[in-house]
Amino acid sequence: MTLLNVENLRVTFRTEAGPVEAVRGVSFNLGRERLGIVGESGSGKTITGRSVLRLIRPPGKILADRMEFDGIDLTRADEKTMRGLRGRRIAMIMQDPKYSLNPVMKVGAQLTEGLRQRDGMSAADARKKAIEALEAVQIRAPERVMEAYPHELSGGMGQRVMIAMMLIPGPDLLIADEPTSALDVTVQAEVLAILDGLVRDRGMGLIFISHDLRLVARFCDRVLVMYKGKIVEELAARDLMAAKHPYTQGLLNCLPRIGGSQGPLPSLDRDAAWAL
Amino acid sequence: MTGVITWLRDPNPTSRAQARFGQTYMGFLRLRRNHLAMIGLTISVVLVLMSIFAPALAPYDPIAQNLSDRFIPPLSPGHWLGTDDFGRDIWSRILYGSRITLYIVLLVILTAPVAGLIIGTVAGYFGGWTDRVLMRITDIFLAFPKLILALALVAVLGPGMVNAVLAIALTSWPPYARVARAETLTVRSSDYIAAVRLQGAGPVRIIFGHIMPMCLPSVIIRVTLDMAGVILTAAGLGFLGLGVQPPLPEWGLMVSSGRKFLFEQWWVSTMPGLAIFIVSLGFNLLGDGLRDVLDPRSSGK
Amino acid sequence: MALIEVDNLSVTFLTKGHRVRAVDSVSLSVDTRESFGLVGESGSGKSTILRAICGLAPISGGAIRIGGEPVATPRGKAFSRKVQMVFQDPYASLHPRHTIDRTLSEPLAIHGIGDSDRRVMAALADVGLPTGFRFRYPHQLSGGQRQRVAIARALMLEPEILLLDEPTSALDASVQAETLNLLSRLREERGLTFLMVSHDLAVIDHMCDRVLVMQHGRAVEEFPRADLAAGRMKTDYARSLFAASAERMG
Repeated sequence: MTLLNVENLRVTFRTEAGPVEAVRGVSFNLGRERLGIVGESGSGKTITGRSVLRLIRPPGKILADRMEFDGIDLTRADEKTMRGLRGRRIAMIMQDPKYSLNPVMKVGAQLTEGLRQRDGMSAADARKKAIEALEAVQIRAPERVMEAYPHELSGGMGQRVMIAMMLIPGPDLLIADEPTSALDVTVQAEVLAILDGLVRDRGMGLIFISHDLRLVARFCDRVLVMYKGKIVEELAARDLMAAKHPYTQGLLNCLPRIGGSQGPLPSLDRDAAWAL
Repeated sequence: MTGVITWLRDPNPTSRAQARFGQTYMGFLRLRRNHLAMIGLTISVVLVLMSIFAPALAPYDPIAQNLSDRFIPPLSPGHWLGTDDFGRDIWSRILYGSRITLYIVLLVILTAPVAGLIIGTVAGYFGGWTDRVLMRITDIFLAFPKLILALALVAVLGPGMVNAVLAIALTSWPPYARVARAETLTVRSSDYIAAVRLQGAGPVRIIFGHIMPMCLPSVIIRVTLDMAGVILTAAGLGFLGLGVQPPLPEWGLMVSSGRKFLFEQWWVSTMPGLAIFIVSLGFNLLGDGLRDVLDPRSSGK
Repeated sequence: MALIEVDNLSVTFLTKGHRVRAVDSVSLSVDTRESFGLVGESGSGKSTILRAICGLAPISGGAIRIGGEPVATPRGKAFSRKVQMVFQDPYASLHPRHTIDRTLSEPLAIHGIGDSDRRVMAALADVGLPTGFRFRYPHQLSGGQRQRVAIARALMLEPEILLLDEPTSALDASVQAETLNLLSRLREERGLTFLMVSHDLAVIDHMCDRVLVMQHGRAVEEFPRADLAAGRMKTDYARSLFAASAERMG
């Protein structure tokens, strides 16, 4: 079943030097699966993710032949409908929890705020639900974390709190933009395992945006490779090592490997034709 | 001409001189794009021209009294801005007064912000005891009302224009020191300062070459915002008989001397007041534009 | 012969009355022309060791020797001609209001070295930047180009030792490869000694001969490159780091 359908998405930024197309005709379908979007900085992967929530500020402009989420036309939906979707049905996790959590509010207050205001829950019920959410992301002492301020949490802990916060309303689609890049490798693995479990148990759709090809290959079902605002290759994650497009191959080859040669790494020779 | 411009606009200059000229030219282009800044620049240039050519432009002597021509209203033949209580032509007095205004402004710009910048960056860079001592001195100066402190200083130094300017400078550096110190604290721990320290640079080189350029924009903004205040403080000191002495045509002095006739002969105060207003506005607009020019990052936009 | 010797180094920061021991009795020694890697997670103190060597972090115990001589405090000009550092974030390590030319000629001016025109051009060519970039500002360059400028700056004084603090972690994969290749080539050509910090075991494995694993400010385990590839570690922590990097295996 298709959850999200995007056809010919274009995002243009009007600048003094003329319009710049950050995303140029991206189309994809998403079911209840894990879709990875990979690319280097400036490839348009983040902007693609944000466009789904229409979180592009002027002078940016979103154009699409079709952008439908669960039967709702996102290109025509009014701002009120979008507000209803954001957070509640489509959630987003950003790279660095430091910038996404309010630094002067206790974690508990931030977690329960939405529940009490949006769903009109009592303080006790909201607290119970927030603690459950923290337990779901494997935080061992949820009561203590509820009373902490964001700066008192480590990076991994902060990112778990972010995930818990995003998952409380039970969204159908989760957009994770480099959710683990700011974390250490060992913590990275734990956070990914938590995300994986939640996606599987709750049957969510997941868009996982990352610059790390090998991470995406291990974690996702399907991968879109973006280059300069276009999808250059779409393939099943298990076939990633057999990628055909020279850009995907180049990205894989230029990474150093443990136990590999210490000779020069193959460089990525960009072909102007890829961007056409 | 086009050859010179291509040489200036060359994105890959071949020598340091060409790069410097090119950057100055690009800075000027950025300034030209900013219409408000151009208005400010025009006003400042006009002020400079006025002060240089005052003797040629002024129809009358600014000091000689002519009691038969007292209080001629503006737009009268011969005196288009009118005359004051001693029958002196206000336009001529404003022209000559621009020299004094420019002199005060330049002298203050050359002293207070420079002193504030040095004290602030030194305190911020070294921290510890240096910081504490310098900042407490700054606090002491800030704690006094500006005019009272200036009065005390002039009383010690004796009245006169130079002493008045010195008094103003001595009372107006602390805010610049504060601004510079705040900027220094954010810059001090950055990697590019660590890198130049690692190359063996001493504190003088780091403070003047690396920290000051980062503090300059916010100080320049403050200076231009304060300029109107400086002109008015100078006027205030003149009014109290401690700054520029009559019959010199200082604008602030002219405003205060017209105070007595404000309701009947409004132009005596209004005309020099307008001059102060226009010049202050000009400095503000120019300062705003200069900040953009001084920041090379804005050129890419 | 050991060029860099660090003996029982401890670094203690004083923040809001708390004493935080960022580095706790760490010892290491790097031979001439060797490339030595420091691996660990954030907060393990690996970068702090580099900063302590440069005099940018407060040393509370232990000794640092370069070429057998204890380092002077403050470090002084002789030190800067021997040891230079490349920082992690190329967006923060170049002065935003100085042109590339100014950034590169500054070390020459400090040390009174003449002929700066020719030296700056040569340095740009050496790190593979077109000479037309000379009078640009950092904001006009990409991340990879900036890091090349930072490397060129570190080499202006022709040091023997280059301290590399996560030099590629802010860069894209393809740019990382180019930067690592550049560093390897320069090491080869100039006979440099590297002390490199990274959180990425694959990068360390590619660049270094020996590795020291750190955790919570302490040295956990040191082993040669061959043991890393084979997964021959003695401690659980080193093994868990290795396991978390499994997809980076060749």
